[in-house]
Amino acid sequence: MSVPILKQGDILIASIQSALSDRDLVELRDELADRVGRLRSRGVVIDVTALDVLDSFATRTIRGVAYTAKLRGADAVVVGIQPEVAFAMVQLGLSLEGITTALDLEEGLALLHAGKAERARRK
Amino acid sequence: MLNIADQSRAQALSKEMGLTEAAVERRRRIVGLDDRDLERISSIKELVLAHIEEYTSAFFDYLSSLEEGRAVLANRAVAERARQLKREHLAAMVQTDYGSGYVTQRLELALLYSKAGLDLRVFLAAFHHLLKTVGTTIMKHFEREPNAGFDAFMSLKKVAFLDIGIIADVIIFERERVIRQQQDAIRELSTPVLQIRERLLLLPIIGVIDTHRARLITESLLGAIRANRAKVVVMDITGVATIDSKVANHVIQTVTAAKLMGATVIVTGLSAEVAQSLVVLGIDLAKLNTVGDLQGGLEEAEYLLGHRLASDPSVGYSPPVTRV
Amino acid sequence: MLAESSVPIVHESDIVVARQKGRELAAAMGFSSTDQTLLATAISEVARNIISHAGRGEVALSEMEEGGRRGILVVARDQGPGIADPELAMRDGYSTGNSLGVGLPGARRLVDDFDLSSAVGVGTTVTLKKWLRK
Repeated sequence: MSVPILKQGDILIASIQSALSDRDLVELRDELADRVGRLRSRGVVIDVTALDVLDSFATRTIRGVAYTAKLRGADAVVVGIQPEVAFAMVQLGLSLEGITTALDLEEGLALLHAGKAERARRK
Repeated sequence: MLNIADQSRAQALSKEMGLTEAAVERRRRIVGLDDRDLERISSIKELVLAHIEEYTSAFFDYLSSLEEGRAVLANRAVAERARQLKREHLAAMVQTDYGSGYVTQRLELALLYSKAGLDLRVFLAAFHHLLKTVGTTIMKHFEREPNAGFDAFMSLKKVAFLDIGIIADVIIFERERVIRQQQDAIRELSTPVLQIRERLLLLPIIGVIDTHRARLITESLLGAIRANRAKVVVMDITGVATIDSKVANHVIQTVTAAKLMGATVIVTGLSAEVAQSLVVLGIDLAKLNTVGDLQGGLEEAEYLLGHRLASDPSVGYSPPVTRV
Repeated sequence: MLAESSVPIVHESDIVVARQKGRELAAAMGFSSTDQTLLATAISEVARNIISHAGRGEVALSEMEEGGRRGILVVARDQGPGIADPELAMRDGYSTGNSLGVGLPGARRLVDDFDLSSAVGVGTTVTLKKWLRK
């Protein structure tokens, strides 16, 4: 598995390396779906800090990864989109609508923990 | 006399001005320099080399005869260096190698002139005087075959015009550099992103927003979001001259991009009337989080940040990270 | 000699090669970081278009000079089925299964000049130009 997946408590962290092939991205989606189910993870962080380009395919696949995780009952957040990449994405017309995003891993984790705390508080 | 700093400055300038081999070739083509010219120039090479001191003096004597030219030569070190470079230039002019190396050599002298503030008209006049002097010695030498002399001189003149073109372009380029720097400074001032609180940025936009400026503003904001780790941005468009559908789309794009970086943008200063007209034009403002005025926007921002801080788990237990 | 190179697009991994080369060329020419990313993204889109519609092709990158300004020329060529209605393909939101409808129209927004020429049964050529901002 070319994308390392780390586990912090019940949150999975997938750090996508630079210049991933399309096949790797699809593989990631399936791996995460599998592990979320097996490990009963409550949250998934998809870290794209290292990506210098996010084209329509990559964006679509990352969306797919996030949705798949959600379907398995985990919250998903995409982190690390760089300023230029964000700029290029909106020029291209991509928006990752419906997907939670955060600045970086630290923020992403904070968001996921806050989400859980919020839900715990509501119960 | 080697001056490494000057040489590297000239090389850097060469790159900036786009003086690639292809560009230099194009310049040679423009002045019409061909192989026959090179032959003719070779035929007068020794003659020119023998008179280099005379030619150099002709140039600088003319410069110092003019008030504007004298100012340039006031500094002894500059004058000495200029004379040395001129001698080298004249020698190079008849070597028949007019590639990028030749050009870089010219740039050094051009930079010297530019820094000393040499007036272009004065330079051209002195250069003309120099050419006249060269022409006179050539015609004298070719007394018995005036046509050959004339042809040789015309060929050399092509190289002279190659030089003039370069030097003039450098002086203009350097002048424009100052203007560019001023424009950059103005742009900086007109797209300020202010951090008013931890994780909170204020972006007041004033004036006209065209596509170019919109792009600068967006780039500026996104960079600031990363640098300041901002979670909320208050973007105030009260001072924007005209908010039409184009501007609205720029705003939406900026907001969308910021959101990709995890920052929420609150747009303030969008009056109800303008918002209405935009909706009528088909602009989907639902994507925008708008608040009437700046004050209200800041309060909303505080609320968003406070709300987040209240549920900040950083004081809580953080389990170790393990590889799955 | 103006820089130029050609990247064969045969495998999906070639998309990354092409856009990396584009980024390198842009960087060498002095394009801003943002412009480098815009160009690399545009190349990614057109190269992917080759893979998904033609299966194979090539992306040629070259430095160009025109009327005093410098820029990068990208020519993405394939001998695939061709696009029956180029105008329709360039309309935003149009989807042909594999793409989000973002691909080519999106790429157009990232560059300065864009040209699409295609003939059914012959192939498709997409030409992109990005100029250096003074």
